[in-house]
Amino acid sequence: MSEPASILEITNLTKHFGGVTAVSNIDISVQEGQIASLIGPNGAGKTTLFNCVTGLESPSEGSVKFQDQNIVGLRPDQIAEIGMARTFQNIRLFSQLTVLDNVKIGRHCRSKSRLWSSVSRNQKQRQEESHITSHAFQQLSFVGLEGLRDHLAGNLSYGDQRRVEIARALAMGPKLLLLDEPAAGMNPQETQQLIELIHAIREQEITILLIEHDMKMVMQISDWVTVIAQGEKISAGEPEAVQNDERVIRAYLGESYDAET
Amino acid sequence: MPRKLFTSKTVILFVAVCLFPLIAYGSDRIVDLLYERGIALPLPSGDYILRVVVQACLYMLLALGLNIVPGFTGLLDLGYVGFYLVGGYTAGLLMARLGWSYWIVLPLAAVHGALWGLLRGAPTLRLTGDYFAIVTFGFSELLFRIVKNEQWLIGGPNGFVNDIPPPILFGYQLNKYWQQYYHILILLVLTIVVVHRLQHSRVGRAWAAIREDERAAESMGINLREYKSLAFAVSAAIGAVGGAFFAQFQVNISAGVFEFWESIFILCMVVLGGMGTIKGSILGAGILGVLGELLREFGGWRYLIFGILLILIMRFRPAGLLSKKEQD
Repeated sequence: MSEPASILEITNLTKHFGGVTAVSNIDISVQEGQIASLIGPNGAGKTTLFNCVTGLESPSEGSVKFQDQNIVGLRPDQIAEIGMARTFQNIRLFSQLTVLDNVKIGRHCRSKSRLWSSVSRNQKQRQEESHITSHAFQQLSFVGLEGLRDHLAGNLSYGDQRRVEIARALAMGPKLLLLDEPAAGMNPQETQQLIELIHAIREQEITILLIEHDMKMVMQISDWVTVIAQGEKISAGEPEAVQNDERVIRAYLGESYDAET
Repeated sequence: MPRKLFTSKTVILFVAVCLFPLIAYGSDRIVDLLYERGIALPLPSGDYILRVVVQACLYMLLALGLNIVPGFTGLLDLGYVGFYLVGGYTAGLLMARLGWSYWIVLPLAAVHGALWGLLRGAPTLRLTGDYFAIVTFGFSELLFRIVKNEQWLIGGPNGFVNDIPPPILFGYQLNKYWQQYYHILILLVLTIVVVHRLQHSRVGRAWAAIREDERAAESMGINLREYKSLAFAVSAAIGAVGGAFFAQFQVNISAGVFEFWESIFILCMVVLGGMGTIKGSILGAGILGVLGELLREFGGWRYLIFGILLILIMRFRPAGLLSKKEQD
């Protein structure tokens, strides 16, 4: 087996908010084709880390390299364009737009037509529009929601909204997909479907970085798990190794765990 | 969602709209004939009807232009009259003082308006909500004060520009009401086509995404700076076209027309009909534009009537007469 290339390289990443250090000195490396997970108790800094990687926050220190390109300082839209897509912990769909339009907007960064071609509706623009539409259909049927395409996104069930977010992110044609707690609020059956969906996404040669609280799911699908607590990385490794790490158990169960054993 | 503009219904409506001056002047003839037989009908004259309708059409054009910023992009614009003013004075000064042709001045006014839209946009790109609204208000007030007091270019208090010549088309002066009616109708239809096409394109979807959730839009690859600027420029250009039309229609313009109240009036039209929809802007402008003219004899009291109307709308149809959901 050849040495797998690293697609995302986070080095020394630190983020302060005023006097609070949300993320401190974190190193994470995600290999191409992996399903990598990021776990940790609430408030550990996982979403802040995601925001720093996708350009919504700028890190106080450290570097983030995506396919060997330094992306610190790039705007979120530039990062999206070079092949990184994400979903949000607190679903951020365009709730007053239809499901189809949501997914079409995901295609924005892979299409071109602007003011003049939109107004003149020239042939190139019409071709692009039909391409965008068929691509959006494709993503919707991939996540199993083609029947809901004309509904307003805000009216969908929680689980379906999460799926639309994934379809919208996939429409961006990403190489790396960041999922922020995709199973939150899902019942066991929906979670199982989600696991299958994530496997199917990997089949498309998309690398996945996942924040998740559902340990059963994390241990089942991850190739690599990184654990952070209170902004610091406390463990990393294959799921089995992390599961048995003393520091991880302590972070989740608290110090009193030591006393009881 | 209806994507087709040219359905049988709209074609019939279009034909009726095209023949409207015939109806207006026809009623004149009927009134004349009956008067000769000793029956006096209290009907307004055809010219008056057309004048009111031209005003309403102008407001429709302005409402469509304004709608792009608060309706499509979700940023409250309280200074739209500023672009109307830029268009009005660009056309007024170039035509009355330099004798330029209206057909050159009209696109120039649009470009000039768009430039001011970009200029106003530059410092406001990072602002949202109340802060954006305050800047837009300040901007239009600034332009209003300048034309009101400026000496060198416009010359004198209240910014009078007089005797703006009518446009000339194939040797004919367009200074009759029915000519102006067709004139504004063509501008209005063009605006509707442009706005409709933009709304249902990649650009329109990007605007809607910004309106719904800026941060998510950014993460989808939408360059906020670029698409907000584009919205400001297109909106401002349409406002300036309205201003240029107004200048030649009114013949004499002065600063008083471009007071802050006018921005609110146009915004009310957009809100009344339903923000973010083309039909809503047209309907809202039609109702308030005609009403504003018919209630003119009540002077300041008509504002009371508008206020009550808006309160009723907010109470019973908070998303406007044609809210987006119902239209979809």
